[in-house]
Amino acid sequence: MTRVALLRYPGTWSERDFQHAFSLVPGVETEILWHEDADLRGFDAAIVPGGFSYGDYLRAGAIAKISPATKALRRFADDGGLVLGSCNGFQILCEAGLLPGALLRNAGLEYRCDWIHIRVESDRSPWTARLFGEILRMPIGHGEGCFVADADTIASLEENGQVVFRYTDQRGGATLDANPNGSTANIAGVRNAAGNVLGLMPHPERCVEALLGGTDGYRVLANVSRALEPAGRAVYR
Amino acid sequence: MRYTARIYVRTKREVRDPQGEAILGALRSLGLDVASVRTGKEIVVTFEAADIAAAGEAVRQMGTELLANPVIEEFQVEWTDAADGSREDKPFTSTARARGR
Repeated sequence: MTRVALLRYPGTWSERDFQHAFSLVPGVETEILWHEDADLRGFDAAIVPGGFSYGDYLRAGAIAKISPATKALRRFADDGGLVLGSCNGFQILCEAGLLPGALLRNAGLEYRCDWIHIRVESDRSPWTARLFGEILRMPIGHGEGCFVADADTIASLEENGQVVFRYTDQRGGATLDANPNGSTANIAGVRNAAGNVLGLMPHPERCVEALLGGTDGYRVLANVSRALEPAGRAVYR
Repeated sequence: MRYTARIYVRTKREVRDPQGEAILGALRSLGLDVASVRTGKEIVVTFEAADIAAAGEAVRQMGTELLANPVIEEFQVEWTDAADGSREDKPFTSTARARGR
């Protein structure tokens, strides 16, 4: 069995959606861990779900970054454990320094709740194995999703294949219109240098069955079963 | 010693401030000739420290490790004597304005 931990901070709201999504993937079992005493030993992957941790006070993800769970997550990631953060989870991973960059208030100031398209720009992450170049359709729901970093960081992310998802139109064009929040270079998701930590603003857990309007999220999340394969461990340095 | 620091957190100049842009538009729509607007937040922290040097170091740690995100923000510190962080010269508050009417 592949064991997946779902971290719950005060204000997290997508952990049960992730639990349902992973229940559809054969060979995966999940456990929801409360942030104060999250022990990640024995897990193959850890998910930082979306929501409004600590009410987004100070900055989205800022207070969660000093929670005990985030300390445990940092050790887990350093040891090569697979980590995925979605929406507020992506914000927490950036705040914690597990991923580069930061997420600002959407350029249009609107909370965007919509279906968007993202193109898989890199398969050098176990989460996007066999998905390179695919255009995925996923829902978003966020007010602070504008990805920014200084010019040098953006250049090195592009150069090292750390940009994993980019907002595009349905034909794969990274146009201004396809960018829902003003993110630099239409960036929707990035990975760390080692490749085991991935963050994205869209919600893969909300599109895992046709009844919910799409199944592209399943294609990403089902890759967690690769966590047990030797190549699933961080080998992307 | 008890110290009170007023910590101002602002987005870096090179980072876009969409809230500031929206406020700029709103002020102009009032007919005011406004050149630019930048927003930020003020955080007032009261704490104990051995001396001003130790207090300064504590505030530096607060700013860099939590209150400001160095990727997008910078912070500035002012010290105040009043424990509630209030200034000697009271700012023009909405209460004061209501009383003046």
